[in-house]
Amino acid sequence: MNPEKARGHQSDFASTSVDVDATLRVIANLPAPEGLEERVHAALRKTPRMARVLEWPVHFRSESPWIRTAAAATIAFIVVGGGWGVYSRVQPAKVVAMPPHIMQQGGFSNAGAARTPQTVNGPVLNHPVAQTPAAAHVVQMPAKREQRGATKKPDSVQAK
Amino acid sequence: MSASQAVFAGWMEFPKSAVDDEPRQHAEEQALAALVDEYASTLYRVAFSVLRNAADAEDAVQEAFVRVLRHRDRLDEVRDRRVWLIRIVWNIVLDRKRRAKTRPETDDVSELTRVLPAGGLSSDERAMAAQMHTHVLRCVDQLPPKEREVLMLSAFEELTSVEIASVLGITESSVRSRLFRARNLMAGLLNHSRSLR
Repeated sequence: MNPEKARGHQSDFASTSVDVDATLRVIANLPAPEGLEERVHAALRKTPRMARVLEWPVHFRSESPWIRTAAAATIAFIVVGGGWGVYSRVQPAKVVAMPPHIMQQGGFSNAGAARTPQTVNGPVLNHPVAQTPAAAHVVQMPAKREQRGATKKPDSVQAK
Repeated sequence: MSASQAVFAGWMEFPKSAVDDEPRQHAEEQALAALVDEYASTLYRVAFSVLRNAADAEDAVQEAFVRVLRHRDRLDEVRDRRVWLIRIVWNIVLDRKRRAKTRPETDDVSELTRVLPAGGLSSDERAMAAQMHTHVLRCVDQLPPKEREVLMLSAFEELTSVEIASVLGITESSVRSRLFRARNLMAGLLNHSRSLR
């Protein structure tokens, strides 16, 4: 950097620093308004002293510890009794036990469905089906054993 | 005393400070009153340097002491009460400044004209001075927050760099480096605004 320029930059920096310092000093040294302390005191007097979460009423403080003990027992009784009351009324939901799924061999499964619809029954024949003429012509061949039995004589004849 | 009674009594036993603490409360209130008398004006100036409004600064001071009142049990644990109080009010005013909308420059000038000490200046001269200060403060507002905070606190002669570091929760070397950066940036901003005029 050119030395003259650098000197100019430094002088600018110095002059602006003086400006900034002067302004900030003026602001930092402004006098507080009159009566500030009194107003703060008044505000503090109005503020409730809520520093503690739990505090005994004043007339209980100097009494014997029996009162505190009784109060503590009462609070504990109410809390425990209330909790038990809620617990005894609210029961866990009943769980429906599902029958074990048995897979039948060769059949269709119901895929674990809770309920399966009843299917329509098939047609029922009231009268026996009459033999068709074609069926009448069919010669029913007797069984071979019966044929053999027919050639044989009955046992009673043989005994004679 | 039966066992159960002993248990309940022990359970419900309050510390001495909570039950029979009338003298202690009185002492705490006196200590708080002494803090108000000693540091209210310092806190006001710190608050005004950020908020630049007399009423807002006074509100911030009151809020700071109300917070102290709520935590008065811990007053004995505080080592440097001045720095501790400045830290409380500093956090309050930064929070308020963040929430508040930016005021127009004319408001700042009129407020500064009102609060600036006369010092043998005519009303015109005071108005000019207020305008110049407002312009500088507007440039300060353009700085990054970290640099701006250090620069503003450095103007308080009663605060050392160690105390500024304690208020801001940073190291002393950070205070110095931020202050250096802030001054450089301010020089650039003011020169730029001068060249525009």
